[in-house]
Amino acid sequence: MEATHAIDHDHGHGHPTGLMRWVTTTNHKDIGTLYLWFSFIMLLTGGTLALLIRAELFQPGMQIMRPEFFNSLTTMHGLIMVFGAIMPAFVGFANWQVPMMIGAPDMAFPRMNNWSFWLLPVAASLLVGSFFVPGGASAGGWTMYAPLFLQGGISNDMTIFAVHILGISSIMGAINIVTTILNLRAPGMTLMKMPLFVWTWLITAYLLIAVMPVLAGAVTMLLTDRHFGTSFFNAAGGGDPVMFQHIFWFFGHPEVYIMILPAFGIISQIIPTFARKPLFGYASMVYATSSIAILSFIVWAHHMFTTGLPTAAQLFFMYATMLIAIPTGVKVFNWIATMWKGSMTFETPMLFAIAFVCLFTIGGFSGLVLAITPVDIQLQDTYYVVAHFHYVLVSGALYSIFAGVYFWLPKWTGNMYDEKLGKLHFWMSTIFFNILFFPMHFLGLAGMPRRIPDYALQFADWNMVATIGAFGFGLSQLILLVVVLKCIKGGVKAEGRAWEGADTLEWTHLPSPAPYHTFETPPTVK
Amino acid sequence: MTQEQRGQKASSWQAARAVFWSFFGVRKSSDYDQDAVRLTPGQVIAAGLVGAALFIATLVGIVYVVMH
Ligand code: HEM
Ligand SMILES: [Cu+2]
Repeated sequence: MEATHAIDHDHGHGHPTGLMRWVTTTNHKDIGTLYLWFSFIMLLTGGTLALLIRAELFQPGMQIMRPEFFNSLTTMHGLIMVFGAIMPAFVGFANWQVPMMIGAPDMAFPRMNNWSFWLLPVAASLLVGSFFVPGGASAGGWTMYAPLFLQGGISNDMTIFAVHILGISSIMGAINIVTTILNLRAPGMTLMKMPLFVWTWLITAYLLIAVMPVLAGAVTMLLTDRHFGTSFFNAAGGGDPVMFQHIFWFFGHPEVYIMILPAFGIISQIIPTFARKPLFGYASMVYATSSIAILSFIVWAHHMFTTGLPTAAQLFFMYATMLIAIPTGVKVFNWIATMWKGSMTFETPMLFAIAFVCLFTIGGFSGLVLAITPVDIQLQDTYYVVAHFHYVLVSGALYSIFAGVYFWLPKWTGNMYDEKLGKLHFWMSTIFFNILFFPMHFLGLAGMPRRIPDYALQFADWNMVATIGAFGFGLSQLILLVVVLKCIKGGVKAEGRAWEGADTLEWTHLPSPAPYHTFETPPTVK
Repeated sequence: MTQEQRGQKASSWQAARAVFWSFFGVRKSSDYDQDAVRLTPGQVIAAGLVGAALFIATLVGIVYVVMH
């Protein structure tokens, strides 16, 4: 009752309504909502690009576009999905959930929080807008490899600028999250009592602070090579194009963990809830996450096995990469042990979480295959790699986002989502996902290169299958849109503790929907 | 655990052991309970960096053996 009173009081001094509410907001829930909608729009944008790619690849031969445009599509699909869809979605979750889960009233720096978000549409406009400049959007791959990226038109500069802006946004977001977690925890909420989602975000935020400046440095060097007469990556001027790859992947491999650690966190909240058992090995999960974070800095050259590394380096990076799979395997074991003999129910969040455990593991194993240097020399730049990273990123990162959305929608909107539609979304996505990506393992093993608009006849059948899967998967995502809109508009009222097995603060201490201001007086955690 | 032990700061050796198990990704829960109350963040970071350096040195050693 105390809490309700405080809320009513606060609503007294008015804040802007309508559009200005969103432009000027410093409220972590509003900003979380903005991040999540932004991410969803980017998901549909990047998804449309992917469907164009798959449409061209439906049959061998050039059907519907010029090869240059095809290259722009693969490049922009990658950049938009990584920086526009996956990363902002997790920051959206962090904004909504971290303060509520640790009993804080808001993020530590609410105004910086607003700025972190509003930089994103600027960067997105640069990326999307670059399709319309002379020469078309960047076409050198999302990895922006030199020397190719040193050539090309103004769109490459737009991409560089966009990456700078995205980097600033991520770093500010990360600083905000670290400060919030370290300084704003409710009394009694010791580090080792924090929900795992908070832990994984704390570690992710450190990774972001460590590697976003490296990416910024790499693209700045591209920029000065392009326009200011330096030759960092230009062999003609005494530079080294391979150095770009080292710098990029020193960012890039920790980056893939930036995209998967918060996913681990979400899954670690959901599985115990629907198995009605505490997470098996909470401590080992925290330790394994830290260990993965540290080790992620010493495996980067597994992306460069075909660049002529010395044998000693090939061996080192092969061993290191294979060892990093151990803490990852420990996590999978812990999730399964959590479900073991639990009283499980299979609502949509749990379905996505279980699919995550199964399918992410497939992606982890194909990663191990690629970690074997002699094998990778065969498979590098084939569709096998494409299969690998879509199993870890779509059925890994994206599935955890879906799971998290279904899990927390009742808390965010105050209504239960439509379970039937949710299950439909799950099954359609999962069936079409596998039709889309599993055949890519076969294509890669048979030697089909990635990033090509046309291919030899022997690859025709599986490409056709993959394209059918792609359109099925893409269209299935509209179901999610319907579910979310329906849930915002109404539905069965959600209880404060919408899920019987949920035991974190937002479920045990707050009504649904969570009021605009929460925990202005911190709860006491026992 | 007595109150006295609880207040005690962990030794470097304990920090090293915690970090070793964390690289593997497993920790016995009784040991973990001790870590939680006795290890300071500074100790964990220092031990983590030393652990990472040792890990790299070991791998380099193995590579050396394999190549000679
Ligand atoms: C068991 C853990 C993993 C191992 C051993 C592993 C190993 C590898 C290797 C060796 C490659 C290089 C393949 C090549 O280019 O020839 C690769 C590529 C890739 N991996 Fe993983 N990986 C793992 C987990 C992940 C995770 C969790 C993610 C992201 C969430 C991820 C995302 C990627 C991406 C995006 C690429 C391709 C980058 C590109 O060339 O465009 N991987 N992985
Ligand atoms: Cu990697």
